[in-house]
Amino acid sequence: MAERYVKSVGAYLPILRLERQQASAAMRWSGLAGPRTGRRSVAGWDEDALTMAAEAARQALAGDTVDNLRCVTFASTSAPFIERQQSVLMLDVLQLDRSLSTLDVSGSRRCAVSALARALTSGEAGDELIVAGERRRTAAGNPLELAWGDGGAAAIVSERGCARLLGHHSRNVDLVDIYSSPERPAPYQSEERFIRDVAVSEVLAPAVAEVCAAAGIEPGEIDVAVVPEPVTGTYRVLKAKVGLKAANLSEVVQAKSGDLGAAHALFGLALALESCAPGAKVLLVGFGSGCDALVLEVARPLAGQNANATLATGVSFADYVRFLSLTGSLDIDWGPRSETEQKASASVLARHGRDFTGFVGGRDASGNVQFPKTPVPVSPEPGIRGAWQDVVLADAPAKVLSITTDRLNFTPDPPFHFGLVQFDNGARVLMEFCDSQARSPVVGDPVRMRFRVKSIDRKRGFRTYFWKAAPMTRPVLEG
Amino acid sequence: MASGIRDRVVIAGMGCTLFGERWDAGPDVLMVEAFEEALADAGLERGQIEAAWLGSALDDVNVGNSALPLAFSLRLPPIPVTRVENMCATGTEALRAATYAVASGACDVALALGVEKLKDTGYGGLPLRTKGLANDLWMPYGSAPGSFAQLAGAYAARHRIKAEDLKRAMAHISWKSHQNAANNAKAHLRKELTIDAIINAPLIADPLGLFDCCGVSDGAACAIVTTPDIARGLGKTNPVAIKAIQLSASNGWESQYGEWDGSYVRNTREAARRAYREAGIANPRTDLDITEVHDCFSITELVTMEDLGLSDEGRAPIDVLDGAYDRSGRLPCQIDGGLKCFGHPVGASGLRMAYEVYLQLLGRAGARQRTKVDLGLTHNLGGAPYSSVAAVSVFGRLD
Repeated sequence: MAERYVKSVGAYLPILRLERQQASAAMRWSGLAGPRTGRRSVAGWDEDALTMAAEAARQALAGDTVDNLRCVTFASTSAPFIERQQSVLMLDVLQLDRSLSTLDVSGSRRCAVSALARALTSGEAGDELIVAGERRRTAAGNPLELAWGDGGAAAIVSERGCARLLGHHSRNVDLVDIYSSPERPAPYQSEERFIRDVAVSEVLAPAVAEVCAAAGIEPGEIDVAVVPEPVTGTYRVLKAKVGLKAANLSEVVQAKSGDLGAAHALFGLALALESCAPGAKVLLVGFGSGCDALVLEVARPLAGQNANATLATGVSFADYVRFLSLTGSLDIDWGPRSETEQKASASVLARHGRDFTGFVGGRDASGNVQFPKTPVPVSPEPGIRGAWQDVVLADAPAKVLSITTDRLNFTPDPPFHFGLVQFDNGARVLMEFCDSQARSPVVGDPVRMRFRVKSIDRKRGFRTYFWKAAPMTRPVLEG
Repeated sequence: MASGIRDRVVIAGMGCTLFGERWDAGPDVLMVEAFEEALADAGLERGQIEAAWLGSALDDVNVGNSALPLAFSLRLPPIPVTRVENMCATGTEALRAATYAVASGACDVALALGVEKLKDTGYGGLPLRTKGLANDLWMPYGSAPGSFAQLAGAYAARHRIKAEDLKRAMAHISWKSHQNAANNAKAHLRKELTIDAIINAPLIADPLGLFDCCGVSDGAACAIVTTPDIARGLGKTNPVAIKAIQLSASNGWESQYGEWDGSYVRNTREAARRAYREAGIANPRTDLDITEVHDCFSITELVTMEDLGLSDEGRAPIDVLDGAYDRSGRLPCQIDGGLKCFGHPVGASGLRMAYEVYLQLLGRAGARQRTKVDLGLTHNLGGAPYSSVAAVSVFGRLD
């Protein structure tokens, strides 16, 4: 069997970070305990597991060809749809061929690492994209609401790349550290000391020993670990028990963003590959209902610092009530203006979905680019029907032509920014803006496109997606 | 080349309700109020009306769709009745249809009535509407102030005007409308405001504050149009003539093509150019005596002064602050309070503008009457600066 490599990775966090200390202070009266240091990433109202996974995937695919891509796997325990395949939507977001193999995986938060392990041990030719995103519900007051975070990560597996698989081991144990169900969508957690002790003794320690044996190394030879902790302190106990010496990058992600569920280990892998020298051994673990453990050897450093930069930038906030609203724990009555009908038509989606989801405009016979494509081009050239040449606007350079901060219309996280965006290729689109929490863009500012939720039909449990314009950079977080 | 409608049609009578929060009246009551005033003014019988157009822009769930709300409310005879809708330009659209019917010879007496009953929605501002099932998948749900706020930003950028200077000129526009509406018993908002209060009001959509925005109102306005001969037969020796009604609609050029800079409204310019030609106006600054323009937002009125050719490009803030468009200025604008203060029952607004010009031409405007009014203009704008329908009409006396 040909060797398989991790070829590239991508990482994405929403711009908002909640200060845990101040958020926990808002609950101090209750006596409920929770993490009080660091920050947790908080998805915008228009971000979900799919959008964040998509942004991570765009990062993983940046500058690369997709010609060899064979399979796309979407991993999440908080997918927005139960019956509507996220990996199929991902093909449209990324404008990938509709004949690719697609698969959604879930069931536990290790699903992304399980999918990665399968891709790395697969004998099939071609590249595989594994994308993970997580926006998990938590109950107000539950310690997990501050311990967890929202985000996405992605990895591409190929015949060549920057990290080679040395060994893999799966261990399957029905350890109910947490569970969620249709009857209880927010997680229910077992007693923490029980989780830590049994997770180490029954799951992690045996798995680490086995995977190191499979890789032909001792645990002490691991250079960097990415071991998600079901509860704080798990890795410390594991380290002492099996003789690991490496620092655990999972704890860095946990401190700065929170546990990212299915995306957590891949995010940590991105951090590891950005920092490790060739020859370094990386222990990667996906935990949940047992674990999948992998040992990878770094073949060459990963270009760029996407994961580190993502962790280090954003906008901090301390408003616990806003946090509860964003996470859905507090159902605010926004008044009659929020009662707009949001029903989407399946037949309209069938006609336009791929172009809108992928932000595909068209170049007309005169060379002008427009979005959306229309029967008669907008160009003042004589309006004749003709064939369009597809132009993907998702990565096209653009600037703000006009913008306003609209305080009248309903948005779940006011204010609402919208205006005209002028693309360098000539296209002009009336768009919503996002990620403007630090500073509203002004006329002339360059903007980048972000894949976001367009509308949510709460009455029918449906949502639509489109692209929004965001500032090119995010502010650096202090501390 | 078409000869146009100039002087082919005259206004036999007009009516307009009290605008405002008409908790006392449903759309049927509003329509009847406006119609009865117009009918009495015209000296006609209901049975003499041969065709009717209803303008109602937003409130399908209240006024109802189709022509039937008008036919039922007025108990019209079984004549052709049609509902028209063209966003905030709906009122003028109804008048245009009735005027064209008479001008073409299809009928001798036609009715145009615009009505909106918005305050039953339960909140301020315009109701959000679908833009079509496909457009809803990508188009932002921006508010009307949000759309026009961008006009302010682009205008300031193009003409290099400081934000605070533009804000002060915009405030003067709103101040003027509040002053004028104090003399209008039918106006929604009759309280005068200070410039400072306007400037310091809470922001609705940057840079538009609360008093840069017109509210929404309940109300109806109505015109009965006929031929000059029939009007004379009714004893109207010097009736108000329709000199021009022109309309221009966006085709996506502003919002989808890369040329427009966002600082003006192309459709207003185009409609004005054609209306001036149809009315035989060579110099609008000297030929016109009064204007009623679509001041949905203060910045809209300011930019419209340039789009209509009444101010040089980039000079409107100076002209506004010099009082050129005040009621005692060289060319009064919104002498009745405008959308800002008379009110904005959307489907009625275009006809309300015509109502004020009609009163001024007949010397019946009471405390706000100008001494010399021979030619008046209305400008009725629907949509957003980047996607609009603009109507420009001219009214005067028969040549």
